[in-house]
Amino acid sequence: MPGSADYVIWFLGIILEASVIFCALRRKLFRRYFFLNLYVLLELLVSLGRFRVLAHEGLSSPTYRYFYFYSDALLTIALFFAVISLYMFVFEEMKVERYLRVGAILLLAGTSWFSYEVVNQSSHRMLTYFAFELSQNLYFVGLVLTFVLWGAILKLRETRAMVVQLVLSLGMYFSAFAASYSLSNLSPDIFQHLVYLVPAMGCLLPLSWAYSFWRVSDDARLTPARLAVIPR
Amino acid sequence: MSRKLATLFFAMLVLTGAMGLKALVTTHGHGSVLMANGPEPVPRPWK
Repeated sequence: MPGSADYVIWFLGIILEASVIFCALRRKLFRRYFFLNLYVLLELLVSLGRFRVLAHEGLSSPTYRYFYFYSDALLTIALFFAVISLYMFVFEEMKVERYLRVGAILLLAGTSWFSYEVVNQSSHRMLTYFAFELSQNLYFVGLVLTFVLWGAILKLRETRAMVVQLVLSLGMYFSAFAASYSLSNLSPDIFQHLVYLVPAMGCLLPLSWAYSFWRVSDDARLTPARLAVIPR
Repeated sequence: MSRKLATLFFAMLVLTGAMGLKALVTTHGHGSVLMANGPEPVPRPWK
């Protein structure tokens, strides 16, 4: 069973997720950033659901495992659409929404096909393995998409502070998890001393989004010179 | 037509890059999992 520190970090995460929804509603940004808020709302509901299942069934029960991995696949798909919605914001003046939608569907279909091919050999629990593999693969797709988007923000001199803040938060979040994942694979001895690092990182995204919705005005602009050094 | 092809090319490029990155990170792996949605305790995956 999880220790008291695990529960503290977990409840902190739930409070931060609720804060994002509260701040978005309070600042009337819920509909404008709908897919980001939908992801956070789903994460909040899933967190509460996981807590209920864990309390009744325990960490090693099949019920918690099934609930965890299926809900994680759902959340990763929601996160994927949240990243795509940020693409819509950045490219909205270029009128390429249709192509972005087609690209997103192609990418999701391609990732699903790739995940299916990986788990195709499993004769039992295929759907569960598929959900697990899809979640892992979509995570890396989200990571690459976020960095491509950051490149586009620099290239297009995007100046909306809110969009920049949201994309940077996602980039930091993805990078932190990729780094911890690499560390767990490459140096498991070091990683086992950092047991609270990964759960604590789960609080970073709702913290930064709550801050963005609360403190950064939707009309605020950044000067391009603050984003990139422009060669003369 | 060229925009459609560019969309397809971009989607395939991102997919290839993402799967390549995953392969790179897990080359020396020991089966650890990456669960990035929230701070909840991660159960042990099926073997």
